[in-house]
Amino acid sequence: MGWVMDFKKILVAVDASENSARALAYVAEMVGGSKGFRVELLHITRLPDKDLFQDEKSWDEQRLKQEQKAQEFLKEARAVLESKGVDPGAVSERGFCIMGHSIAENILEIQEEGGFGTVVVGRRGMSKAEEFLFGSVSSKIVQYAKHCAVWVVA
Amino acid sequence: MSAEVRKLVERFLPDFPIVHCGEIYTDTSGFMNISYGDVIALDGLHYLVFRDEAERRFGMEDPKYWVKRCQTLETGERRILKLVFHESFPMKIGPFVIRCHRSAEKEGRILDLVKNDRRFMQGLPLKDEKGNLVRVLELIRGKRLDEVVDAIPTDHRTYFHEFFPKILEKFIGSCQAVAFLHSHGEKHGDIRRDHLWVESGTDAYRWIDFDYAFDFYENPFGLDLFGLGNILLFLVGKGHHTSQRMRELGFGEDVFNALPPEDFSLMFQYRLVNLRKLYPYIPEELNRVLMHFSAGANVFYETVDELLEELSPCLDLVSRP
Repeated sequence: MGWVMDFKKILVAVDASENSARALAYVAEMVGGSKGFRVELLHITRLPDKDLFQDEKSWDEQRLKQEQKAQEFLKEARAVLESKGVDPGAVSERGFCIMGHSIAENILEIQEEGGFGTVVVGRRGMSKAEEFLFGSVSSKIVQYAKHCAVWVVA
Repeated sequence: MSAEVRKLVERFLPDFPIVHCGEIYTDTSGFMNISYGDVIALDGLHYLVFRDEAERRFGMEDPKYWVKRCQTLETGERRILKLVFHESFPMKIGPFVIRCHRSAEKEGRILDLVKNDRRFMQGLPLKDEKGNLVRVLELIRGKRLDEVVDAIPTDHRTYFHEFFPKILEKFIGSCQAVAFLHSHGEKHGDIRRDHLWVESGTDAYRWIDFDYAFDFYENPFGLDLFGLGNILLFLVGKGHHTSQRMRELGFGEDVFNALPPEDFSLMFQYRLVNLRKLYPYIPEELNRVLMHFSAGANVFYETVDELLEELSPCLDLVSRP
């Protein structure tokens, strides 16, 4: 093997959804109170396409709202982990905005750059038709992830 | 009546009844007020409005008040002017209701991208004095592809062997055109069979209407691919096959009842995809392409290139005598 998987370095992709909350709770239970784990909470806000707005100003207002929501959510997510005994020093948060790009691809880029051996993501449970039309972040991560374990919490 | 409009019409279109001359517009924000006899002035040219465009779908006429049929007074050329209408509305796609946004900017970008590419409608995006992006479009003289196919007066077997190979060849070209858009980060956004036209004289297939914008990013090309799949199904079958149509075509209840749900469209449960069960001379390879859009599919095309990789070889198979 040319690479070493640091499975205790965990990247948890979160948003404000119920399935994401389940994924977070799962990680908290699995990791809380154990030593050696590092958890990064990753919140990626995908900014809406500018074509969907009448002007730059209304798009910018939406962007600011989403960024603020993301910051609030990351604080709450951290609190969930700490409440289950995860060492606060072992938790980091990262939030950023992207435009016109696949969230799954972004998650995998960060996983590779950061050397995360475990990626955790929630799964909504889409129908085939939904997945075909809208795509699924969790399915894409499972399909394209390399050199890591993927936990999909359904 | 504007004196300026009257002067323009007297000079360039003297046959137009002066009594119907209206106002001159350099700000197209209030498109509902712009109608027959008015003139839109843009970038040094003047467009006389004849009427609002109307779309005919499902037997009903749907007026498009922001789209004006015009004539360029200085050149005599007919043009369609699409004015800015920031509409956001729910659109039903199969069982889903999706938020769709009309975007002049998107269509303007694509018009610039596809300039001189005859696989697409041609036009100029121009700003009026208020910054509204008006798309001045050339007319395509011809017919919708689905109307052309519907009008072929043969049974399916004859259609499939004698007409379909040429149709498939051209449709593959249309798919390549969509792939071109995707490779530049753009999506058509409204791929459907009445948005692919067959130009009279050249018989070229040309895409129209790219102003719909959606917010799908995990599968950004899914909607376009779904549209291409639907059109392909229509072309292979010479129309769509629902239970009603199958009865009209003379297929018995026994045939229909033997078709499992997996043989039908992923999005439209009453639309048969597994056409080889009705028409066994459809090559297996082509049927397999169709089946990627069925309820029984487990793997879907993610890009048009993937679709073309499997569809293009089918051309040889259907072209064999």
